Amino acid sequence: MKKQDNDAELEALDALFDTVRAHPPEVPQALMARVLADADVLQPTHGRHHAVRLGLRAWIADLLGGWQGMGGLAAAAAAGVWIGWSPPETLPDAGALILGYESAEVMSTTAELTSFGWDLDGD
Amino acid sequence: MPPDDPVSATDDALLVLYANGDPTAARTLTARLLPRVFGHALRLLGDGAEAEDVAQEAMVRLWRMAPDWRQGEAQVTTWLYRVTANLCTDRLRKRRGVGLDEIAEPEDPSPGAVEQIQNRARHDALQDALDQLPARQRQAVVLRHIEGMSNPEIAQVMEIGPRAVESLTARGKRALIDLLAGRRAELGYEDEKAG
Repeated sequence: MKKQDNDAELEALDALFDTVRAHPPEVPQALMARVLADADVLQPTHGRHHAVRLGLRAWIADLLGGWQGMGGLAAAAAAGVWIGWSPPETLPDAGALILGYESAEVMSTTAELTSFGWDLDGD
Repeated sequence: MPPDDPVSATDDALLVLYANGDPTAARTLTARLLPRVFGHALRLLGDGAEAEDVAQEAMVRLWRMAPDWRQGEAQVTTWLYRVTANLCTDRLRKRRGVGLDEIAEPEDPSPGAVEQIQNRARHDALQDALDQLPARQRQAVVLRHIEGMSNPEIAQVMEIGPRAVESLTARGKRALIDLLAGRRAELGYEDEKAG
């Protein structure tokens, strides 16, 4: 008798769950609108705009191979400047050759350089 | 999964699309998830206005979390149910001490005259009984018997073991039966059985 009561109670409860499950609450339209508005405001579209604004810089960096490529380019440029300024003994002096002198020793005593105040001998 | 087919896309795929700026993903996700979030909050809180606030806040957290979502690691619904339940728990703590009579009853949208009244009575009776359960029991019962989730899924949402889920749902159902005792005829179940 007790078991029959329990079974009936469980059946009634399951029927109640079925009823509630079959009729889920409707989402109020105003809530739906608020949630969609939130989604619009919070969508990370700023990233897209950022990408457009930084497009040229990013394009150049990509063209040169990113930061690694740009680093290599800067190092090569610095080495070039140094070699041009202070060439090794074995290399011809590009500056002297451009100015039409046979060697750097000749050039260093000429007025072309002393006129710039580069006379290092202090004479 | 083609990105131009949002209906068949998984929740987490849609979330990634949303994070990448897709203009339609949010609408599809909202249509799919908001009814569940709102319904869950309504069952846990028994108050329509508060359930709306909680549902909106839970969805805001979803949108904010979207860029960091790791696809395939967890289910969006599991995460969302957990967030919703935590928000409801916070509200229930703040509300502690408020009498049941002061809590507004949830709206019942079902159409039709007699059937509507009957369904309304059933909704209200169940909601009244659910409101009297301890919060964890209520959450487990709602997830199992109204949301239709499996015990392992509930275990993930509630961050407990499957056995604890079984225990909570069993005790919750027993308590509901006690709370609803004597109301079967009033709720029309005796008639349906007889008919």
